[in-house]
Amino acid sequence: MVNVMKGILIKCDPVMKQFLLHLDETMKLGSKFVLVDLDECHLFVQPEVYNSLKNLIDEQYEKVYYNQKSSLE
Amino acid sequence: MGKKHRFYEKGKKRRRDDLPPDEDEDLELDGVPKASTENVEEDGDQKTSKDQYGAFDYRPHIKLKDDHSSRPLWIAANGHIFLESFSPVYKHAKDFLITIAEPVCRPEHIHEYKLTAYSLYAAAQMAGSTEDPANAQKPESEQANGENKDKDKDAVPEDITSFYDKVEEEEEEEGNMKTLSFEVNQDKIETLQKTCIVLDYPLLAEYDFKNDTINEDIKIDLKPSAVLRPYQEKSLRKMFGNGRARSGIIVLPCGAGKSLVGVTACCTVNKKALVLCNSGVSVEQWKQQFKMWSTATDDMICRFTSDAKDKPFNAGILVTTYAMISHNQKRAYEAEQTMNWLKEQEWGIMVLDEVHTIPAKMFRRVLTIVQAHCKLGLTATLVREDDKIADLNFLIGPKLYEANWLELQKEGFIAKVQCAEVWCPMTPEFYREYLMGKVSDQKIKLLCAMNPNKFRTCEFLIKYHENRSDKIIVFIDEVFALIHYAKTMQKPYICGKTGQKERMTIIQNFKLNPKVNTIFFSRVADTSFDIPEANVLIEISSQGGSRRQEAQRLGRILRAKKGAIAENFNAFFYALLSQDTREMGYSRKRQSFLINQGYAYQVITPAQMVGMDEEQLHYSTKEEKVHLLEQILAASEADMYEEGVFGERGGAGSQRKAGNIGSLSGADDSIYGEKRKGFKEGSSALLIQEIQLTLTNTDQPGTCVTAGWHASQVMFAGDSADPE
Repeated sequence: MVNVMKGILIKCDPVMKQFLLHLDETMKLGSKFVLVDLDECHLFVQPEVYNSLKNLIDEQYEKVYYNQKSSLE
Repeated sequence: MGKKHRFYEKGKKRRRDDLPPDEDEDLELDGVPKASTENVEEDGDQKTSKDQYGAFDYRPHIKLKDDHSSRPLWIAANGHIFLESFSPVYKHAKDFLITIAEPVCRPEHIHEYKLTAYSLYAAAQMAGSTEDPANAQKPESEQANGENKDKDKDAVPEDITSFYDKVEEEEEEEGNMKTLSFEVNQDKIETLQKTCIVLDYPLLAEYDFKNDTINEDIKIDLKPSAVLRPYQEKSLRKMFGNGRARSGIIVLPCGAGKSLVGVTACCTVNKKALVLCNSGVSVEQWKQQFKMWSTATDDMICRFTSDAKDKPFNAGILVTTYAMISHNQKRAYEAEQTMNWLKEQEWGIMVLDEVHTIPAKMFRRVLTIVQAHCKLGLTATLVREDDKIADLNFLIGPKLYEANWLELQKEGFIAKVQCAEVWCPMTPEFYREYLMGKVSDQKIKLLCAMNPNKFRTCEFLIKYHENRSDKIIVFIDEVFALIHYAKTMQKPYICGKTGQKERMTIIQNFKLNPKVNTIFFSRVADTSFDIPEANVLIEISSQGGSRRQEAQRLGRILRAKKGAIAENFNAFFYALLSQDTREMGYSRKRQSFLINQGYAYQVITPAQMVGMDEEQLHYSTKEEKVHLLEQILAASEADMYEEGVFGERGGAGSQRKAGNIGSLSGADDSIYGEKRKGFKEGSSALLIQEIQLTLTNTDQPGTCVTAGWHASQVMFAGDSADPE
């Protein structure tokens, strides 16, 4: 039987993929969202997480590049 | 500090009224700068509107004068002063500003200065009058006007001259003063100084060495071959301005010839001189400097370190370390004798090298032991993350001179450095561990430092520059990573546990042996390691956001290169950063000092590293990378602790508590250097064992360790094991 699933394809560098996987594993969005781990640079994820993912990535960027304290903790 | 602070602010306000308003652009016609009525920095900030980038909009506050093009200064409401460096009167305005204000940021075209209580205090001291810093600067500025009038036909507006008259009148008012003299208890001097500053009558510390007949001259002179550069002369003129020696601090970039300034000062005073520095290596360097520039002979210079103790009894110059003096445990008989002698002496001048590194507490101890008439502090970076700089004002004296890095670079006195930060992407496996955050802070650092891509970049850069026959130094803070890098690339390394003799051997080889082009350093070499040959610096890892460390490291390659053309870049500074880790954020902070000195960092992304794929580098396969990661994770906690202890005193401890920046940046590492003495030989033997242990333990088949490395290691280790 064929299962059809709607999702979005994310293309990113390997490091960013690790970050996304990390979010997935630690259930940062409340549940798992990665549908298929395709290869080094591609992930297939649930469509509804798009916006919250974006926010989390921005947050991480902010943390790493500007706000040292929070990244230490 | 609250109360006192407010007091300073008041003092500042009053004085700002008195400033000679030459070249002010925001003057009202009645002569009181509007800005000066607003005293607190924050006040000014609040009243000024900001745009979205945080830039202040001064347009409503400052009206441009009609002849603004000939006035190079802008004074903002918050006490910041902006100077246009392209203005014809720039030079004179700069001399004036550097005396009364602290430079904040000095890039090419616009320089920013800030008035602080301390800068005004320093200005007052410099002026030789405790009343008004403005008066003393007058002649210089006036001269500026005079010259300018000749050149530009009244380019300087009338009101400036009229202001001088006003200032002059004020000066005449306080005429008949009585001179009184006191002798003050040595221990109370610091308290007295502090009190006087609070009373708004800063004290001057001067030594009338010419008329001192009690202390004998030591009869040394500068050699005719010693030629002072203009800025060195200028700094010394400030010190000996009125025929007496002033205590204070001279700030020159690393490699700009601080030692020569120190030697010249000693020769000028010509009394018994005491030189204090950070480490045994710099003691040797100071001795060489004295022999090179002055007529002092071997028997006049006495070294007093754990390794070298010369007989001091007829020496005129004593060179030692801070730790040696402040050491308060039992000493050997010989050392005890020297200390007693040292205490009895009345020193003419005390030169304090790398003065920013000493903690105030240790410095006070030194001062209670040694009596000196005049103190000269030398440093390149008068910044500290913990604001202990202010203390130096009481302990030594005001800042006498601060050089502009970019100007020295332009004139070819220091090397022209291309700064670059190289972004190395983390490998997925490493980033995964980094994100998990399950490992200790120490290991997180290792992960960033040993990122295989960083390793490859570093190896590539080393190969590239070795082919150009450059001399390269590499800095890695983590000793585990340091040893790994050095062993994998088969290069010598120096870290905290490397013995004195071994260090000397490695450095000598680096200087003279064309086959040794690269050395790996831990934090020990951050300051006062004179390696003039080095012209490429690669920074693998660093100490958080320490601005001073960055500047000091840059200083290792700043010495002017022989035969170099001043227009071209002749030195290279690479900071390797692991992308998407906290290193990126730290780097912004670290760079701020150098950027304020006018340096620009170029960002290099991996895509720009042409030819990297063609080189044969380590860690090209995924297996090797994974293996490296395993090694890092497998490094036991015990290994980590050992590193801390061996690598650097306070290393492990301060890495855990972020508060202690003084020791993080190596402020008190010198204490460690001295304590090592007791178990020296034992520890050398231990060192060999250790290396072999690590060789057998951590080096599994993937990493190559060749016989050549073993041989050199044994040679170095054997060297230091020699009974001294």
